[in-house]
Amino acid sequence: MPVGFAAQFWQLTVDGTKIGALYAVIALGYTLVYGVLQLINFAHSEVFMFGAMGGVLTVRAVQPQTTASGFGSVLLVLVGLVCGALAGAVAAFVLERTAYRPLRRRNAPKLAYLISAIGASLFGANLAGKLFGRQNIPLNADLFRDHTLFHIFNASVTLQTVVILVTAVAMLVVLDRLVAGTKLGASIRAVAQDADTASLMGVNVERIIVFTFVIGGLLAGAGGFLYALTFNASWNMGFIPGVKAFTAAVLGGIGNVRGAVIGGLGLGLIESYGGFLFSAAYKDVIAFLVLVLVLLIRPSGLLGERLGRAA
Amino acid sequence: VGALVAVGLVSALSLSACGGSSSSSSGKPVVTIGFQGPLSGDNAQLGINGKNGVQTAITEANKKGNLPFTLKLQTSDDQGTPDQGPTAAQRLIDDKSVVAVIGPMFSGATKASEPLFSAANLLSVSPSATNPTLTTLGFTTFYRDIPPDNVQGQGAADYLAKALKAKTVFSLDDKSDYGTGLSSVLEAQLKTDGVTVTHDGINPTKDYTSEADKILAAKPAAVYYSGYYAEFALLAKALKGKGFSGVLMSGDGSNDDKYIQQASADVANGTYLTCPCGDANTDPKAADFLAAYKADNGGVTPGTYSPEAFDAANAVISVLQGLGSSPSRSQVANAFKSVNYQGITKQLKFTPTGEVEAKVVYIYQVKDGKRGVLGTTADLIK
Repeated sequence: MPVGFAAQFWQLTVDGTKIGALYAVIALGYTLVYGVLQLINFAHSEVFMFGAMGGVLTVRAVQPQTTASGFGSVLLVLVGLVCGALAGAVAAFVLERTAYRPLRRRNAPKLAYLISAIGASLFGANLAGKLFGRQNIPLNADLFRDHTLFHIFNASVTLQTVVILVTAVAMLVVLDRLVAGTKLGASIRAVAQDADTASLMGVNVERIIVFTFVIGGLLAGAGGFLYALTFNASWNMGFIPGVKAFTAAVLGGIGNVRGAVIGGLGLGLIESYGGFLFSAAYKDVIAFLVLVLVLLIRPSGLLGERLGRAA
Repeated sequence: VGALVAVGLVSALSLSACGGSSSSSSGKPVVTIGFQGPLSGDNAQLGINGKNGVQTAITEANKKGNLPFTLKLQTSDDQGTPDQGPTAAQRLIDDKSVVAVIGPMFSGATKASEPLFSAANLLSVSPSATNPTLTTLGFTTFYRDIPPDNVQGQGAADYLAKALKAKTVFSLDDKSDYGTGLSSVLEAQLKTDGVTVTHDGINPTKDYTSEADKILAAKPAAVYYSGYYAEFALLAKALKGKGFSGVLMSGDGSNDDKYIQQASADVANGTYLTCPCGDANTDPKAADFLAAYKADNGGVTPGTYSPEAFDAANAVISVLQGLGSSPSRSQVANAFKSVNYQGITKQLKFTPTGEVEAKVVYIYQVKDGKRGVLGTTADLIK
């Protein structure tokens, strides 16, 4: 074991939780859509990217050049989150309309959806490259002075970590309540369980599908903005977190909302520890190795596939 | 630029009309200088810096009007990657009007492209490919007007050890030809200077969180990153976010204002950057170049490698001047062997392997969100 693992353990845990929370937020988009349509929406990574772009570009446009502080910081983060979420929702809505709905109308085979998803993903990324340039786009200046707020054991927890965790947890709780306790949530679960029967019971299936995409887009868009706080926004930023979030969804049991959360956090932690123990370069390898191992033992993921029943 | 496009269009039209003998609107034949570098992708800014430098040299030479031909620029984008390099090089080789190339800019792309240029007997002068091995691979038409990384690596190591008195250094590279070349020389020299070195390599990524944890666990006095600005900015953010307070340093690949923009001034302040390149914006010797560059590029100021690209293009033009109105590729390649041109960055005079004889390394530092030259390593260590 490399020197310092014990000393760094809590720091790695904090960092892993931070990135894991973001994976969880993005993973929900995959899981919700899969739950409802049994479709892997591979273009979800571009929904995430457009969300990040929407948030970052809006904040860049409204923010003064200097580092904001106090009320200004809070306001700017909120503006970024809201615009990111809206941009993500619009991207998801357009995606559903253009890439999937025409196929559904024609009763296309499953493979066609997959090809359409990959095509939409490539198109989206390159469209963003064309529109926003193929460079990393940072926020003008830091939205807030990132500093250590408090320590957990010996790990420093920074303001940014707190912002990301608080926002992510808030979104996850709201979504959980939405799916479990509202009429819309009940309709989503009904469509996930049996779309035909739900439709006979008066559920507007097409509308629910659109809602599902939009909810996933809102989450991914806000997640994209949070991700861009640390990693900047760029036209090709979606791919890696997209694949990771998909992995998180599969790890937890695709279609299962709480599974996505557990999968996301688990993946973040595994990456964080693994990156330190072996090499940061092998972080992705370790994450996927764990995925393979989990699937060998539990093919349907940690919590199983079941948006329809629980959640 | 508009006028040049017009010249290009006219020459293209007359090319098709006259069946081969190209001539410009002013009646002079057209001679093309190629440029190869990253014009798109994450590190495009460095390529644009170089291209603009070449463009300035060409525009100025055409303005003087004492050449027996009109110069034209043909760019070819290799995105700075080894896999795009040969394709980009072949595009220039296939364009028969190209008699010399400025570039490729990145070491990996250079290594992949030079065999094609050598086979085509097409001169290529890189303003920025600094991997030490490039001049040992037997390329016959390759030159660079920038000292290799072993010069930069040694200078950076000496500065860390003797001027900043760092006892422990964490050396991280991006596993590219450029990064590993720079880091291995840096580490060897650091060890010679009695500094404890930890080495790590990580492919370009966006998430440097766990790498930052690893670096902090090693408690180094200084971190040296051998790679490019897009990644260095993210690494710096991750390190500073975790409270790293030691010396942060990188090489010429990160020596660009985009580093400060992408990391934010707060994070970038205090960062040291090493570069074999001078700074045209503050160097009094480059005042004329600065004015011309801004005039020819819509008010943009020169960036890293712009002066070297300008010098390389001017050295090529100085050779072309003596070769009449339609120089051939082999004439140009032959004549360049003995070029001796006083550029704004240094004297351009080359060893038989293509290495520039003048060896200078500058130390830069970011202060108040701006890059400035502290001086050459030789002067700072004294």
